[in-house]
Amino acid sequence: MKFIRSQKPRQAGSPFVFDIGTREKAVLLETLRLYPLLDASYHQFSRRPKTIGKADQEWLEEAMDQQRLDHKKKLGQLFRDNRCFFKPGKHGFRFSLTGEEMEWMLRVLNEIRVGSWVRLGRPEMEAAHALSLTSGQARFLAAMELSGYFQAVLLEAFS
Amino acid sequence: MAATAVPLAPPDTERKEKTDAKESHDHGYLVICWNDPVNTMDFVTHVFQVVFAWPKAKARRHMLQVHNAGKSLLARETFEKAEHYVHQLQGYGLHATMEREE
Repeated sequence: MKFIRSQKPRQAGSPFVFDIGTREKAVLLETLRLYPLLDASYHQFSRRPKTIGKADQEWLEEAMDQQRLDHKKKLGQLFRDNRCFFKPGKHGFRFSLTGEEMEWMLRVLNEIRVGSWVRLGRPEMEAAHALSLTSGQARFLAAMELSGYFQAVLLEAFS
Repeated sequence: MAATAVPLAPPDTERKEKTDAKESHDHGYLVICWNDPVNTMDFVTHVFQVVFAWPKAKARRHMLQVHNAGKSLLARETFEKAEHYVHQLQGYGLHATMEREE
């Protein structure tokens, strides 16, 4: 996947456009299908909960649950019909995202990355590649790396 | 880059009423981001830019503090604003918490 262009100076709603190959598109969609990988209990509002309060922790968990539902709903639309995101191009497809969709995609990909890392036992990055993995875990190691790769391409478009 | 950011939703109104009672003029609530091995440096910098509308240099300085020192104090705010920031940062998957200043 390669960043092609965005309108400069950026205007609200103007898209970021990427070239993406057919196989790479399939890999991106398969990676996105893993979402969600975390549940609300992952989120910790405070390291000293006594000074903040149980209700604040519950409020955070509710907010994260709601965000996950919203992201999942939008992903459902992407899986059902992605023609507005992917248009046939010279080397596969032109993948277009508005600024808002870029942030959404970054959040979704990051949850897949973090969720995969949690399922691998929260290893240090160097150690993750030295783990002896079951086939189930191997899937999460791949998802962690792939989501990180797609995130990096998206982030490069901002610079 | 912050100009490309999605406007962040204000805290929920119903919740606002509840937290008004929590010393809304007290800026003694700290927003802290903690290091983890999984969030990339570029991603963390980007999130700080979006959430706080910081220039890249400031966002990067705080990201490096998280990376090197294990944590960075991002904001000292009222309860309501600090809570809003924590929700935004956690929504991006960062390990950010709110602590009461001692």
